[in-house]
Amino acid sequence: MEIRGWRSWLIAVAGLLITLLMANGKARSATLLAPTPLSDRVVAYQIAGRYDAKTHTLDATELLTYTNKTGVPLDRFPFHLYLNAFQPKSTWMTEAERSGQRDSEKGAGWEDKHFGSNEVKSLEIVGEGDLTKQMKFISPDDGNADDRTVFEIAPPKPLEPGGQIQFRIHFVAKFPEVVARTGYKRDFLMAGQWFPKVGVWWNGAWNCHQFHANTEFFADFGTFDVKLTLPAKWNVGSSGVQTGAKDNGDGTQTVNFHAEDIHDFAWTASPETKVMEDSIELRGHTVKIRMLMAPGHMASAPRYMQALKGTMRRFDEWIGAYPYPQITVVDPPHGAGAAGGMEYPTLITADTTWWLPKSVLASEMVVEHEFGHQYWYGMVATNEFENAWMDEGINQYMEAKVMDSMYGETTSNLNSRLGTLSERGVDLMSYAMVADRDPLSRPAWLFENSESYGGISYSKTALMMLTLESVVGEKTVLHGLHEYFERYKFKHPTPGEFTAAMNEAAGQNLDWYWKQTIYGTETLDDRILSASSERVDWYSTQDEKKGVTVYHNEVVVHRRGTFDLPVVLEAKFDDGSEVRERWDGKDRWHRFSWDRKSKLVSAEVDPDHGYWLDRDPFNNSWTAEEDGRATGKLAGYWTLLTQWLEQWASWLA
Amino acid sequence: MSGSVRSSAGLVWHHQRLLWWIFAINLALAWLGSLPVRATLSAVLDRSLESSKLVAGFDVSTLVLLMERPEVQMRSLAPGAMSATAIFLLVMLMMDGGVICELLEDRRLSGADFVASCTTFFGRMARLAGYSLVPFGLLIAGGAAVGAYADKLSDNAPQERLGFYVNVASRLMLVLVALLLRLWFDLAQARVVHGEERSVLRSLRRSFKMTFCSGLYAQYFGIAVFAAASMAVGTWLWATLPHGAMGASFVVLELVTVVQIASRLWMKAASARWVALQTP
Repeated sequence: MEIRGWRSWLIAVAGLLITLLMANGKARSATLLAPTPLSDRVVAYQIAGRYDAKTHTLDATELLTYTNKTGVPLDRFPFHLYLNAFQPKSTWMTEAERSGQRDSEKGAGWEDKHFGSNEVKSLEIVGEGDLTKQMKFISPDDGNADDRTVFEIAPPKPLEPGGQIQFRIHFVAKFPEVVARTGYKRDFLMAGQWFPKVGVWWNGAWNCHQFHANTEFFADFGTFDVKLTLPAKWNVGSSGVQTGAKDNGDGTQTVNFHAEDIHDFAWTASPETKVMEDSIELRGHTVKIRMLMAPGHMASAPRYMQALKGTMRRFDEWIGAYPYPQITVVDPPHGAGAAGGMEYPTLITADTTWWLPKSVLASEMVVEHEFGHQYWYGMVATNEFENAWMDEGINQYMEAKVMDSMYGETTSNLNSRLGTLSERGVDLMSYAMVADRDPLSRPAWLFENSESYGGISYSKTALMMLTLESVVGEKTVLHGLHEYFERYKFKHPTPGEFTAAMNEAAGQNLDWYWKQTIYGTETLDDRILSASSERVDWYSTQDEKKGVTVYHNEVVVHRRGTFDLPVVLEAKFDDGSEVRERWDGKDRWHRFSWDRKSKLVSAEVDPDHGYWLDRDPFNNSWTAEEDGRATGKLAGYWTLLTQWLEQWASWLA
Repeated sequence: MSGSVRSSAGLVWHHQRLLWWIFAINLALAWLGSLPVRATLSAVLDRSLESSKLVAGFDVSTLVLLMERPEVQMRSLAPGAMSATAIFLLVMLMMDGGVICELLEDRRLSGADFVASCTTFFGRMARLAGYSLVPFGLLIAGGAAVGAYADKLSDNAPQERLGFYVNVASRLMLVLVALLLRLWFDLAQARVVHGEERSVLRSLRRSFKMTFCSGLYAQYFGIAVFAAASMAVGTWLWATLPHGAMGASFVVLELVTVVQIASRLWMKAASARWVALQTP
């Protein structure tokens, strides 16, 4: 009996162990894909907080374990407190007021509802005691003494290479009414940039910029374990995956999340959200898709899903694997548009509106764009403060490629009977207005204004990459991006590392191109300055005879801009023949001429329409015959509008 | 009421030369106003292959890039349209006396009589138009205030669509009140011509009561619905045409314009007929 009892106990313990291991294995496979870390994990955040839906505040404690992988002793640590940007005297608000930003016009003024804060109640270095009083706000970018978006703390003794330090921070996050991708609207909350986040040791120094109206984010990779207590029955979504939830029986619930190899953590909660789940098979693993929809936007859900799956497949095929087990899509409700169109690791926010016509591909475009960020912002994780183009711009290029592939090159943004709009067209419109204002290499907060920041960081980069296709070929550009991604994912690369990777993929030194596009403000504007066909025997009194008379055909191409790029000219003649000639584009102008028994019908520079950086496409061509149809059409519409304006005014008579 | 609608429509039909005259002036002025636009666009587009994107289809970015060019700025092209609009308003005020006189008397006026009526009543029509600026101005200001309130509701109300619905309802109300105001001033115009009243203020006072007692509002409403429906149908028809069918597009859109002018004339005919019947 004793033996039997012992054996039964042994079997029971073994069974329990096996069950636990299996359960652990299941949990692990649900949260992790790679058996080893994907990134050089520098940080480990454990955060527990309670959200008060009435005051829109989160009272939380953060335990940050930082591992010194810099190779040098660290005697101070800077932290971001992003929510403090939403205060009247902050650098963010001042810049937004003076120059505008994504969601507000210049001079929009201050509204109390947009107040937000990150208040550190206490800060302790575990084992070293409370250092709250030694916290010091710093303003490394502009010296604004009223900006409280960065503080630093000096531990009593430096952290040696390979050593670990733990910060325990009690903080209260007060969310603004939604602004700059974070905050509440009615009972919806999008919590972004909500916890004290340590800066990045990068290129031999701390990199921890203040929050600016035009800047985004930069942080180190690591793990996140987040436990949130919120009102019961609210639907919650977050970066990473949910690992547990329990009803506390007091009208609240506590939800646990876990994430690995990401550098930021965002979450959302709302009682109204409808949750939809699906999955997609990519390179042998399944990615769960979790979509949190605003009830008024349910019609957009299938559109989001279709765009997301199409985008994921193309990135998987063209760029590399998406290694995380889940992607969460959050659809902000009406009025919370400032939370829409944003990327966080493994979580993106979409954007739509009621009754959005199917011909307007705005919803699809936002989902495509934000998912693309999972690669450049999420995994490659470049410094968005200093090199915004490396995320936003490269992503914008991919947006054009993916949207073109899914919805057609000329109709990838709007596909209506009344008109069409392409992704490339949108970029050209945005870029042409600000083409020579700022170089791509400029830190985001130093751009002339938000218009220039958008037109250059996003659109110029996209057009730079599209134009590069004309220089080295489309496949080479995509292959280069694939190589760059594989080499630098989880590594925070610099612009130099990007250009080196692209040069290597192209098998040629493209520095002449990068110098003009990334580091310079050169603009491209090649035009047909003049074109003519004159008789060679101009002195002759005989009548011209088609096919007999010889003409001196001449086209002068003018390099109006300052960009140095070879020019291809195509000339067509009235006997149906055509020629293509190349000019190195070094001088200011070049004369092409042909003596032949036919006259010029048309001439065009960049006949394959691949030089997307050319800011003025109208002067790229010339035709011998005038064609007034476009003028007639537009002038006709103008006439009609004037007629209707006349009628409205005559309502007074 | 349907009889009244039919007879006022008949009045417009019988005097359709007025309609064609007004349409011709409307089109001619707009065409003249668009000449600077035509010249500017022609210099950029007529020898550029890029213009094909606006002929075979309608590429929005091509249009925007065109409008971003310094020589194609709206502020330099708009004065032509604004001048045409101001002149058309002036011409309509001048023609009002003749038009109303012909509708009231239901006979074709000779050229000399028409011009005489126009000159006789021009001052009074202009004064009436001036007075109409007050209620229409108040209406626009009220509409703007309700619009701002609707925006606030849209931003803050617990129901996310409340602001939108308030906005739509307020715009509808705006149109209905504008129709009422127009009826009031149309009746005043008809009274001024019919009774040769010198004091337009007195005409306005007397017409105010008639506005509510005449039963004409339903007719005005019906005509406005007809105008809106024809505009919707015409626009739909235009949208179904191929991009290259510019001739057909022009014909359809001009037909829509003719119907809009006819509808306004129909309202004037309804009020003139009512005044003629009430005060022999």
